[in-house]
Amino acid sequence: MENIWNKWTTIIRPKSKNQTGHSCDKTHRHHRAGHKHGQGSAIDFYAYISNIRHWNPAFKVTFSVTILLLCIILNSPYVSVAVILAMAYLTVVKGGIPLHEYLSILMIPMVFILLSTITIGVDFSNQSLGQYNLYLGFGYLYTSQAKLMAMVFLMLKVFGAISAMEMMTLSTPSTEIISVLRKAHVPKLIIELMNLIYRYIFILLDVYAKMKNSADSRQGYCDFKTSCYTFGSVASNMLVVSLKKANAYYSAMEARCYDGDLLFLEEDKKVSKVQIIFGAAFIVFLILLWIVTI
Amino acid sequence: MKGMIMPKPILKVRDLYYSYGNGDAALDGVSVDIYAGEKIAVIGSNGSGKSTFFLNANGVLKADHGEISYQDTLINKKNVKELRKNIGIVFQDADNQIIASTVMAEVSFGPMNLKLPKKEVIERVEEALAYMNISDFKNRPPHYLSGGEKKRVTIADIIAMKSDIIIFDEPTAALDPLNAQMLEDVLAKLGSEGKTMLISTHDVDFAYRWAERAIVFAQGKIVADGTPLEIFRNKAILEQANLKRPAMLDVYEMLVEKEVLKDTNDFPTSPQALRELL
Repeated sequence: MENIWNKWTTIIRPKSKNQTGHSCDKTHRHHRAGHKHGQGSAIDFYAYISNIRHWNPAFKVTFSVTILLLCIILNSPYVSVAVILAMAYLTVVKGGIPLHEYLSILMIPMVFILLSTITIGVDFSNQSLGQYNLYLGFGYLYTSQAKLMAMVFLMLKVFGAISAMEMMTLSTPSTEIISVLRKAHVPKLIIELMNLIYRYIFILLDVYAKMKNSADSRQGYCDFKTSCYTFGSVASNMLVVSLKKANAYYSAMEARCYDGDLLFLEEDKKVSKVQIIFGAAFIVFLILLWIVTI
Repeated sequence: MKGMIMPKPILKVRDLYYSYGNGDAALDGVSVDIYAGEKIAVIGSNGSGKSTFFLNANGVLKADHGEISYQDTLINKKNVKELRKNIGIVFQDADNQIIASTVMAEVSFGPMNLKLPKKEVIERVEEALAYMNISDFKNRPPHYLSGGEKKRVTIADIIAMKSDIIIFDEPTAALDPLNAQMLEDVLAKLGSEGKTMLISTHDVDFAYRWAERAIVFAQGKIVADGTPLEIFRNKAILEQANLKRPAMLDVYEMLVEKEVLKDTNDFPTSPQALRELL
C-alpha cells in the first residue's frame, strides 16, 4: 500500500512547478494544472500560495476594508503613499508574491484609472485658458499645475484603495472571504450562491476550454465568420451543459444528505495579538499623518 | 450460495420501477437483496439502468413504485435520510461531486450535513484524508488538483460519512493505470474492514477478479445475479447484456482445452494466480 502511494506521488511531482508557501506542503509542490485561464484564475492562485494565508481571514478583511475607507475618507496624498507602500510590503515581502507579478496585477486597472483621471486633469475650451494649453485648431486643451496635482493625488488615492483590496485578495482565498461575510451575517442565500458560483466558474472554464479546443481542432475558428458561428454554438452548448451539470450536482449533494443548508467545515485561524497591535498602530499612524499634513 | 444460515439482507429492493421524463422505463421491475460485507460488481451496457438504480437505492430519485427497505425498515418520505446516511455514492465524474472550494471543506460537507458536533466532523475529515493519503492537499482548491487526486477526494467524501454501503459509479473510468491500482488498493482496504460495496464497471476483468457477486443489468432489468464465474460462463447472459468475457477466463479455458492444465475448476482471476497454477 505505502509503496503505491509513494510511487504515485513521485509520478505527479514532476508535473508541478510552483512551490507552496504553506509549511506542511514544503515537500509537495503546487500543481498549476488548470491554471491556464488567464489572470482571473491567477489571482486566485496567488491567494493559495501566499505566506500570510494562515492569518485570520476576518482580520485581513476588516483591516483592508478599514485601510480602504481611511484612504478614501482622509483624502490625503501622504496617507495614500503610506498605504501603497505598506500594502506592497505586506503582499510582496510578507506574503511572498513575486514583485513583478504584484505590479502586473496592479497595472490591470491602470487603463481605467488613466482614462478617468485624465478628464479631471485636462479640460477642453474654445478660449486659451489655464497655465498650459494646447491649440488643436478648433479649440484648446488646457490644464494647470493645481489640476495636474489633483489628478496625481486622485490616482494615488485610487491606487492606495486598490492595493488595500489586493492585499486581501492576494492573501485570502475566496472561500475564506465568503466565510467572513457569513460571520458578518450577510444573508445565507447570497453566501451559498457565492460559494456555488465560485466553484462553478472553474468547472465552466474547463468545459469551455475543452469545447473550444475541439472546435478549433475541426477548423471552427478558421475565419471571422466561422469564428462567430462557432462562438455562438459553444455558448449555447455551454448553457445546456451547465443545466445538465446543475442537475448532476444537485443529485450528488442530495446523495450526501444535503437538505437546504450548504454547510462546510471552516478552519479556525487564530488572530495573533501582534497582528492586531500592528494593524491598530498603522491605522493610528495614518490618522496622525493626516492630522500633521492637513 | 450464501451458506445454510441466510443472514438478513442489509438492503432489500422490491419491484422498483422508475422512468425519466421521456416515458421509457429506466428501471423496469428491479428486485435485489444486498447482504452486509458483500463485494458486488454491477455490470451492463450504457443506459441499462445501473446509475438510475444507484440513485434510487440512495434515495435521491424517488421510484414510481416499488419498495426499498434498509435494515428491515421500509423507506418512505420521512426516513429517506436514513438511506442517504447509510449508503454513500462515489460519482463517476468527480467534478459533478466536488462542491466546496477546498479539499477540507469538501470532505466535511457530508459529516456537516449529518449535523455532527464540530469536533467529530474535524476528526472524521482528518481520518478520511489520512485514509486516502491526501492530508497534504487539505487546503488546496479542487481546481488545482489532477484527475486522480480529485477521485481520491470524492472517495474521502464518502469515507468521512462512515456509511455502511459504498457505491462506486464507474470508478475506473478516466483513471490511469497507476491510479486504477491505487483505487483497487483502497477497495481491498475497505473490503477488509467489512464494508459493503457495489461497483458499476465496464471492466469485466476487474469485475471478475474483484467481485464476489455480479449483478447484470439490461434494459432496466436485472437479467442475472450470481458469482462472476457463473455469469461469465453463461453465453446467453453475455449475449443478452452485450458483455465480453474476462481475458483470464478465456486463457484458463484454452489452457484446459489444450490440456496444459487439468480442469480442477480452480479458476484463476489474476496472472499471478495462473502462474501459481502452472
